[in-house]
Order: sequence, then C-alpha cells, then structure tokens
Amino acid sequence: MPAMVSAAQPVQRSFNPYTENGGTILAIAGADFSVIAGDTRQSEGYSIQTRYAPKVFRLTDKAVLAVNGFAADGNMFVKKVRQRLEWYRHAHAKDMPIRAIARLIQTMLYARRFFPFYVYNILGGIEEDGTGAVYSFDLLIYFKNQTPAPGTAFPKHLPLSTVLPLVIDSFTSATERHIEVGDGLEIYIVLSKGSTALQSLQTIRGIQELTATNDGERVFVIRRELKKD
Amino acid sequence: METSFALTGKGYLIMAADTTSARSIVKMKVDEDKIKTLSPHLLMAYSGEPGDTIQFAEYVERNIRLYQIRNLYALRPAAAASWIRRAVAESLRSRKPYSVNLLLGGYDTATDDPHLYWVDYLGTMAEVPFAAHGYGSYFALSLLDRYHDPDATLEEGLATLKRCIDEVSKRLVVSPGAYKIKVVDKDGVREVEL
Amino acid sequence: MNSFVERYSATSAVGQLRKAQRLTEEEEEFSDAAWGSQAGFGNIMNGPPSFTVPNVRDPAAFLRLHTDDHADPNCRIKIQHGTTTLAFRFQGGVIVAVDSRATAGSYIASGTVKKVIEINPYLLGTMAGGAADCQYWETYLGMHCRLHELRNRERISVSAASKYLSNLVYSYKGMGLSMGTMICGWDKTGPAVFYVDSDGTRLKGDLFSVGSGSTLAYGVLDQGYRWDLTDEEAQELGRRSIYAAGHRDAFSGNTCNLYHIKQDGWTFIGNYDIAKMHYDGPGDVPGAPGGGYGYDVRLAAANSTEVAAA
Repeated sequence: MPAMVSAAQPVQRSFNPYTENGGTILAIAGADFSVIAGDTRQSEGYSIQTRYAPKVFRLTDKAVLAVNGFAADGNMFVKKVRQRLEWYRHAHAKDMPIRAIARLIQTMLYARRFFPFYVYNILGGIEEDGTGAVYSFDLLIYFKNQTPAPGTAFPKHLPLSTVLPLVIDSFTSATERHIEVGDGLEIYIVLSKGSTALQSLQTIRGIQELTATNDGERVFVIRRELKKD
Repeated sequence: METSFALTGKGYLIMAADTTSARSIVKMKVDEDKIKTLSPHLLMAYSGEPGDTIQFAEYVERNIRLYQIRNLYALRPAAAASWIRRAVAESLRSRKPYSVNLLLGGYDTATDDPHLYWVDYLGTMAEVPFAAHGYGSYFALSLLDRYHDPDATLEEGLATLKRCIDEVSKRLVVSPGAYKIKVVDKDGVREVEL
Repeated sequence: MNSFVERYSATSAVGQLRKAQRLTEEEEEFSDAAWGSQAGFGNIMNGPPSFTVPNVRDPAAFLRLHTDDHADPNCRIKIQHGTTTLAFRFQGGVIVAVDSRATAGSYIASGTVKKVIEINPYLLGTMAGGAADCQYWETYLGMHCRLHELRNRERISVSAASKYLSNLVYSYKGMGLSMGTMICGWDKTGPAVFYVDSDGTRLKGDLFSVGSGSTLAYGVLDQGYRWDLTDEEAQELGRRSIYAAGHRDAFSGNTCNLYHIKQDGWTFIGNYDIAKMHYDGPGDVPGAPGGGYGYDVRLAAANSTEVAAA
C-alpha cells in the first residue's frame, strides 16, 4: 500500500509567500528631467503570465515609481503608496515632494522589516528645486540618491536626446539575451517646469502626455514594442 | 577567549577577569572592566553572550543598589548570590534567557570571612573556595587544586593567581592579553596590579 | 478589591469607558496617518514604531529562511554585508572614515553609498551590516536626540545617545537585525566614540573599525595611530586606512568619505576615489604625502627619487 507508506512519512510544511516575476526597470536623472522605464512582461520560471503588466506607475505630476520583483507585492505596494499620497493631498492641498515620497517609501518598506515586501523600487522625478532625481531602494530598505558626490561631476548629466535612445537600446539588447525581458516597453519622462528638453520630445513617434496642464512639471510616456519570443 | 578566576584566602577574596572585548577574530577593546562592584563588599565577574552580559550585570547592579537604598544596609554575600542565581534561573525559563556566567565574591562583614559563588547561565550555583569560567578554567582548576590554600596571605594568594594567569598565557592558544584584578576584604574593594 | 475588580472587569462602567477609550485611541492613530500628517509630531509620539510580522509560529525563523545568504546562496532576499568603516579619537577631535560600496552577494549594488549618517550637527553614526537597519534606527535615534534637546534644553551626550541605540537594538535581539556602528561626536566631556552592535554590545574607546575590511584597516590604523596626531595627519591616516581596506577587501571599495568632528560639530572633509588614491594619491589635500598609495606606485616613486639623488 504505497498510500499508507507516504502517509506515514513526516511532512514538513513551510510558508513561502514569495515568487520572482522577472523583468527589468531603470531610471536616469538628467539636469532638469528624469526618465523611468520598464518592460511589460510578467513571467514565473519559464512561463509567461502576461505580455502587458505595467511596472512603472505615475504617482504625481513630478514622481514616477517603478517596481520590480514579486508582482503581487509590487502592485500592493504601489496601491498603498498611492493611498498615502492621496491622504496627503487631502490634508495639505498639494502633491508630496519627491524627497518626502522617498522617505515615505523607506518607512513603508522598513515597517515590513520582519516580513519584507519582495520589491525593488526605483523612484524618479523632479525635486522641488527643479532638478532631476532618482532614488533607488533596496528590498526592505533605505534609499540612495544617485547624485554627484560633493565636489565631483559624477554621474555626469546626459541630455534627454542621448538618454532616450540609450534606454531603448538597453531594453532591446536585454530582450535579445534575457528570457524574462520583452514584449513591451514603457518609458516615462518627467520634465521640470520650462525644461529645455521639451523640444527634443516633439519629434518622437507615439509620445503621449499624461499631464493636463503645461504650466508645471510635465509627464510623458513613450510605448514601444519589444520582441515577443 | 573570555576567562575569569577567583579565589579566597585568609580574610580576603581575589577576583580576576580578562579585559578583552572580541567580535569574531577582532579584539574591539583591550581595557574593558568585566568585574562589577555591586556593593562595598561584593564583586561580580561576568562573561557570556555579548549584550546579555552588560544588560544583566547592570540589572543586577541596580537592584542590589536599590536594596541598599531601601534598607540602609547591603545584602550579605550569600543573600545576594541567592537573589542573583534566582534572577538567572527565572530568565532561563523566559522567552529570551540571558546567557551569562558569573563569579560572585564577597566579604561578609558580619562573620568576617570571604565567600565565593560560582554561577553559570543555567542557574547552577556552588559555593567554592576558588573558581574559574571560560577556557582558562580547564588549566586553572587543576592548578588551584594543587596550590590553593584557604589560609594563605594576600601575597601568597596573588602569587597563586599569577600562576593561573601565567599558565593560561603559556598553554591556551587564544589567551587573553591583560587582566583586571580586584581584591575585597574588610576594608572593601580595591584594584591591584600583579 | 473593589477597585481591582473595576480595573479589570469588562462590564463595569469604568471598564466600558476604558474599552471605548482604547477604541478611539486606535482610531485616532489610524486617522492621523490617514491624513498624511500627525500634527507636526510625526509617528514618534506614538512610541516605538510597530512592524508587520508574518503569521507563523517563529517569525524570526521565517525571516532567516528567506534572507540568510550564508546558509543558502540562492535564497531570494539578500542583505548588504561587506563594508569598511572606522572612527578614532585624538587630540584634535574625532576622525570618521568609511568606504562607499554596497554589495549583495558578489554583486556590487552601488558604489556611491553614504555610510556616514549625519544624526545631527554634533553626532555622526557609521553604517556596517544591514544598510536599512543602520539607516532607519540611526535616523530614529536622531529624532530622539532632538526631543532630548527640546525637553532638557541641552544636547544629548554621546554616551546617552549610544546607550539609547544600544538598548533599542537589544530589545530586538534574535529577530535578525544586523548592525555594527560607531556613534561619534563631541559633548561636554570632549570627543567621544562608542561602538554599538546588534548583539547589544556597547563599548567606549579611542579607536574602532567595523566591517569585512576592518582587520585590514586596523593594520594601517593601529600602526599609524597616536593621541597627539595633528589634524592633517589624522585625516590622512583615516583616508589611508580606508584605502588599504578598499584595496585588499573585495567587499569594500569605490570611494572613501571622510569626516572630522571638532568642538563646533562635524565637517565633511572630502570624497576620495580609491582607485585614484592607488595611482595618484588623494590629490592636493592637507596631510597627503603626494603620490599614490599603491605598493608598486610607492616603490616606483622611491626608486625614481633614489636615481635622481644618485
């Protein structure tokens, strides 16, 4: 009776609420803009679950959040961040500044110190002084602002006309060689008030503006196809 | 590795503990005092899990002090040892026990004799004429069996302690560099150099 | 007895009141957060922060299962470990020097990490072990140091600040926090350095180094250390020691951040590229001997001067 034998075996149960859903996100800060991009494939192991699952989300007119890792945790996390931002808007009648959003995300992640969200976050946007900013987050954990160290010029700011082809090429080549990257590409561009980078956006095919007014920060999105095999 | 010794003699008690504080293979500090003076005639050497040691020692120190403030006299060595052993034993049965080994030595001013108690992290207590904790105990106990004399003078007692320290320095691979030595007798606690 | 019953009974009037109070308190706590603002007090007024814990029998074991990269290199969540940090006290104050590399396993996650946490203008903390743990709890410590100032009209001593942190992390012992930090500053007693780690150890001392590169830093630091170092010599020693660790320890490197604490608070001295220090030295800074720190570079320079002399 094999059933009897297997029933007699001790069974070890473990609680594993995590998986890895693949994909890539990146962000680059310019002098007066910020570019945040991610592919749209969602997979688990060798099977593709969907070809369109956004990983990049507009939070406010000057902040965009990209999430990568475990999709369920990621979506939940974005939902919770947006809720807190909405509450802030109701209380203060303005959008939360990006450095405050970064701190908020830090404390939200650390509140799960003993049961982490399995999410890698990158937050991109425009600081209150009009400069481009990128914050990257560890799993639990704190942010690092990728700005030049005092007295140095590194990382050097690139112009938007250089950044966009760079981002597209990066994703095209990642798609060529990585099975978890592909299907679609979403590039969010956040421009500071009166950014000179605006001209270089006019000629771009299929660009779509997400902000309603043009007297503040402006958010654009570019969608591109990536290889689907 | 952490090592502590104590021995009694005629009207005094000597206690010695190494002064290194190590983390992994690194000595973080070489002049740490690991013998607390709990009351005018009571000493406690502590060793064990980092963090637990300090927290437990300070807890004991303050409670013994509190007793003295409330009652205007200090606990005698036997009573203090009983209370401290009980604290270890109760902690052992809690969710997060203190892993601390202790040597408690005092001079009883009522009966004019020294007392020494050996206490481990499980709450085992024994009253002994001499004691040791740590790797040093593997060398020192046999040596003390051979050389210890309960009626020895302070000079002879210190000479015996020196034998222990020298033996550990000679034979133990990871021997501590320096020791802090304290003596308690009818005049109270004082620090001595060998 | 009556008051005892009243205190604990669920049905008595007082009991009902207490229950109602408790409920409104809970609601209050929620609604504050809901408004995105807590009347300017932040969440610090609600006592120590609370954490979500998985609903399993042993939460610490759950966390270990998913984070411990020594036991299982394939496990999903990796926590940053490698580092070199040092701090020492001398006649002219305190020198704090750290590297800037963050690693997750063998992957260099970042080369521009700020491992010195500016708690307030008189206190610095260093970061080794879990980056988040250090960042979060030292920021939290900063809030409490400020409250201490407001309540007591006096700056907190380095000793008290470090003890606050030490007691805090000790209360989480066994839950998997990982931090090894030096709390450095200047108070009424002069310059002070305290080592605090997540075991609950807290040590006062003149000279500490923490992290995977600490042994290498100690090698240079111990040999060059004296109490009567000049400011320039001390800064150079800090820089040189971090270079040494960055050069020999694969988990440390990229750049060195240097701070100097004096009576009127800390100042940031500079950021130095470790590769550049190897070949060319730290540049034109006070205390630098000129020329690269690298062994070959140093010998080549010595030989060429010998030839020139001959």
